[in-house]
Amino acid sequence: MTPWLTILAVAAATFLLRGSFILFANPHKFPHAFRQALQLVPAAVLAAIVAPGLAAPAGAVDLSPHNLRLLAGLVALAVAARIRHPLAPIAAGMASLWLLQGAIG
Amino acid sequence: MRSSRDEFAAGAREVSPVLVGLVPFGLVAGVAATASGLTPLQGFALSALSFSGIAQLIVCQLIAAKSPAIVVVAAGSIVSLRFVMYSASVSPHLAHLDRRWRALLAFLMTDQSFAMATARFSAPGDAGFRHWHTLGASITLYLAWQFTVAVGIAVGAQVPGSWSLDFAVVLTFIALLVPAVRTRADLGAAIVAGAVALIAAGLPYRLALVAASLAGIAAGMAMERSRRRRERVQ
Repeated sequence: MTPWLTILAVAAATFLLRGSFILFANPHKFPHAFRQALQLVPAAVLAAIVAPGLAAPAGAVDLSPHNLRLLAGLVALAVAARIRHPLAPIAAGMASLWLLQGAIG
Repeated sequence: MRSSRDEFAAGAREVSPVLVGLVPFGLVAGVAATASGLTPLQGFALSALSFSGIAQLIVCQLIAAKSPAIVVVAAGSIVSLRFVMYSASVSPHLAHLDRRWRALLAFLMTDQSFAMATARFSAPGDAGFRHWHTLGASITLYLAWQFTVAVGIAVGAQVPGSWSLDFAVVLTFIALLVPAVRTRADLGAAIVAGAVALIAAGLPYRLALVAASLAGIAAGMAMERSRRRRERVQ
């Protein structure tokens, strides 16, 4: 039973967050600081997801060159900064990781 | 003037390059649902009802870790907070629509459809049927996403671990993160959030994600404030 309740609660939460302003609020009435905080949300949340995915792929932080995901991720970041196509960092990162795994493993 | 049908078709067509990047992400989300111990039906329901790769992955990871339901829902909500910003940003363009239209477009909103909608609504020309453009892009994304997630659920653990397909998920976030860093305050928020996420990595239930996001936002706001103060002085 619990999985179904969890699924429905997550669905309701994501819908209400998406609908927050579109359905319920007048964006002009919110304080300036709140709108400013909202603008920083994507950069902060996405970086908080990316950093451990690269620097702590197995749970513990590993900043050594043996961490192939960190190396491949840095390649992907450099590519993403130059090429604005969403596929570029995905292709460059996967290719880098496979090459490094092939060269070392 | 472009008809509703023209706008819908244009939205569906213009979103298609993004679909290629969606495939590995959807597969991973499907595989994660199977690995979490959810039944195939539950895994698909999670995807069909929440339609968010990031939320689905976090929820599946936490269910796999046997986290309490309240923690699972809280984490799924926190990673979805960016939708509030998207909602605030597009709401002026949708204010003239009736409640059913707004609910439908809200339900279908994703990082990709938000980016498309922002571009379409800010383009010059007549605005009459532009919400059909967003609908065309969003429905295309929805169908493609559910299809790849279903394939991921069906394939399940048969994807060899040596392919490191889960790394494609991190890379998808990099593809979204880099364009999201537009100002110095964004950059400061991203660096602080990334650093705190690593420092707090030992916290249970992905609380590091919450702590890191809040720290990043606070840092970005502090930078923004000091920049204003400097501008006033000059």
